[in-house]
Amino acid sequence: MAGCRPCYSRNWVVAGLSLALAFGLAATAIAQQGQPASQDVPPVPDLGEPQGLLPEPALVERAAVFADRYLSGGGSGNGFYVSTKSPIQGAGWISLGPGYRHWYKDDQVFIDGSAGVSWRGYKMGQAQLEFPKLLRSRLVLGTMYRWQDFRAIKSYGVGPDTTEAALSTYHLSSQNVVGYATVRLQRWLNLNSSLGWVDPAVRSIGGDEPRFLHTETSLVADTRDYPDHPTSGALLRVAAARFSDQDAGLYSFQRFESEAAGFIALADSRVVIALRGWLVTSNTHDGQFVPGYLQPTLGGGQSLRSYEDFRFRDDHMLLGNLEVRVALMTHVDAAAFVDAGNVAPRVGDLNLDKRSYGGGLRFHTRRATIVRADVAHGQEGWQVRFTLSEPLKLSRTERRTAPVPFVP
Amino acid sequence: MRRAHLILIAVFAVTTAACAKAQPPAMQPSAPVAGAVLWVEPTDLATRDVFHGPWGQENAPNSADTFRYVETKRSGVNRGMTVKDSQGREWSVKTPFPGNLDSEAPVEVTVSRLLSAVGYPQPPVYFLPAFDLKDDLGTRTLVGGRFRLTHPSLTDAGSWSWAENPFVGTPPYQGLLVMMMMLNNSDMKDRNNTLYQRRAGDLVEQWYAVRDAGAALGDTTRWAPRTNHIESFERAPFIVGVNQGHVDFAYKGAHRDLVDDRISPADVAWISNWLGRLSDRQWRDAFRAGGYEPAVAARFIKRLRDKVSQGRALDYSWRKASTGSSAEAARAGQ
Repeated sequence: MAGCRPCYSRNWVVAGLSLALAFGLAATAIAQQGQPASQDVPPVPDLGEPQGLLPEPALVERAAVFADRYLSGGGSGNGFYVSTKSPIQGAGWISLGPGYRHWYKDDQVFIDGSAGVSWRGYKMGQAQLEFPKLLRSRLVLGTMYRWQDFRAIKSYGVGPDTTEAALSTYHLSSQNVVGYATVRLQRWLNLNSSLGWVDPAVRSIGGDEPRFLHTETSLVADTRDYPDHPTSGALLRVAAARFSDQDAGLYSFQRFESEAAGFIALADSRVVIALRGWLVTSNTHDGQFVPGYLQPTLGGGQSLRSYEDFRFRDDHMLLGNLEVRVALMTHVDAAAFVDAGNVAPRVGDLNLDKRSYGGGLRFHTRRATIVRADVAHGQEGWQVRFTLSEPLKLSRTERRTAPVPFVP
Repeated sequence: MRRAHLILIAVFAVTTAACAKAQPPAMQPSAPVAGAVLWVEPTDLATRDVFHGPWGQENAPNSADTFRYVETKRSGVNRGMTVKDSQGREWSVKTPFPGNLDSEAPVEVTVSRLLSAVGYPQPPVYFLPAFDLKDDLGTRTLVGGRFRLTHPSLTDAGSWSWAENPFVGTPPYQGLLVMMMMLNNSDMKDRNNTLYQRRAGDLVEQWYAVRDAGAALGDTTRWAPRTNHIESFERAPFIVGVNQGHVDFAYKGAHRDLVDDRISPADVAWISNWLGRLSDRQWRDAFRAGGYEPAVAARFIKRLRDKVSQGRALDYSWRKASTGSSAEAARAGQ
């Protein structure tokens, strides 16, 4: 325990700085985008999208109309739906399954249940009950159960110096039940807390994995205009989590995360600069370890895009992304990006030595990236990716269950 | 891997089948319903206030008001919410998608004004370009849209079927279908029709209203039809000919079976004659009510009046052609 004190101190300094940054940037963003209620007839907020460098063909615009109506909603309707959420990177380009959701009593009660199977046979199911408008919408309480079965997750061993030849796969299934609460301090500022039970099993090695009691607390400041296709605003998140091994106690650990993303619109929003930084650190007591499937990882379409999914993992991880998007057409952007980061066994050893450079095209509506194609190059060659989501979506800010396995 | 693909395809097939809609039955008039109203002759058409509509200014929302959020709209593909104003009146608000691509809100108000102007009953709907909304977390200004009042004299009694109702085959019913063709309403689902119980003292009427006609004023392609899109609306043809006494429409929407081989030139002329009696100002007011810029409104009005002229001429042309010897003349009215 005593040997971990410097690590704790460093993590809390990082967390504290992030928190201060969060308040500062979020307050600035709010001041810039806030539209206080008027005393008279209100002005009409600008709704339009910027025209790109090229005129948009009618077919592309019609595709945007279709996508806006049927693919960008983000799930706000009552009733049955087709769940298309891809459960994890590496699961294949699409997942499908039935779902049902319903809000009751003026949106005071929400239920949701869905199941799905991905292109590569990954399966998952989940059920959720939530009370989102307690204490005049200041408090959200909920519970969620999630079952998942991922048959071939890539692993290359531990550390930043593993080789591509070390590739193996493992079959991970898990169950997770969680209770959660969110205190809405402001429209853009949430304090989240959760307590859950995680029961993982790595089938390919036949070993009995420990069961975990999982707790997490996070503070999220989010002023992005549209989380699925942000063009302005910022997101800052600090989180502390604990996984307590309920069997032998060998795999108990703590995790600290600091993450910031900013989106700056230039030239009447025809150019958007996106920046993201993410630090994940783990702490263990002497003689304890972070299980491999819960170690931070890098590689894939939302971290280092020229590397394979889950290419690197270790106890600590650092990642930075810079992306410049230019509106080719109203609904088609060209993007150039640089990703840099690394994993390390010690926080002090983290660096940005693993890098990806590349470019891509994105088809989007005002509120969601529908599909993107990225070509990236790095030390391990080229990767071409087609993905149905925003590269900097940061969906973990909406996640309620524990991340098993860790997904960058 | 192949097994996973089969499972995926099976899941897709099952979920798609579960979401699929049943085909509408053959059209037939249903038994008469006491107090049923589809259309009332607009004897005062020339003096109707088409900007405020049949419910007048007294039932309009106050654009300077601060509305209280009640709940989010949870049905259909359009965004919306329920709000209350400072007088306690409840409003259903339909708002545009971010990006303002093909917003249905202005269309719905304008179409409602045109329908009510020529005698089809409509609920109280209005358009606000922006409004202040107060919820538990504060007050902010939002992009506006269509505001539909929950009026105490109107009770929503569910939907009614295009294919089976007491008015099938009557001139007002046929004329209503033609009007949907003129407006290029690409979403003629029964669910968009509302049966209202309208109370006026002891009198209770059953209003058969086309309520959600926002998917109009564009084109009618099967895949992603444009809505509220003047270029598409100007390009889209209206009538392609007359075949064995029935009008062939250029309409390509999902519910074209409602008009295929069912509409006569006289039906087209009937509604065209009513629409043709609207004044320039009434046409402009219908589009002003939906918040349209005058220049855009003028283009929509021109195209619509062209269709009205085509429709008014159709019956005469058809009769003349059908008494002549030339089969080619039967393509009159184009």
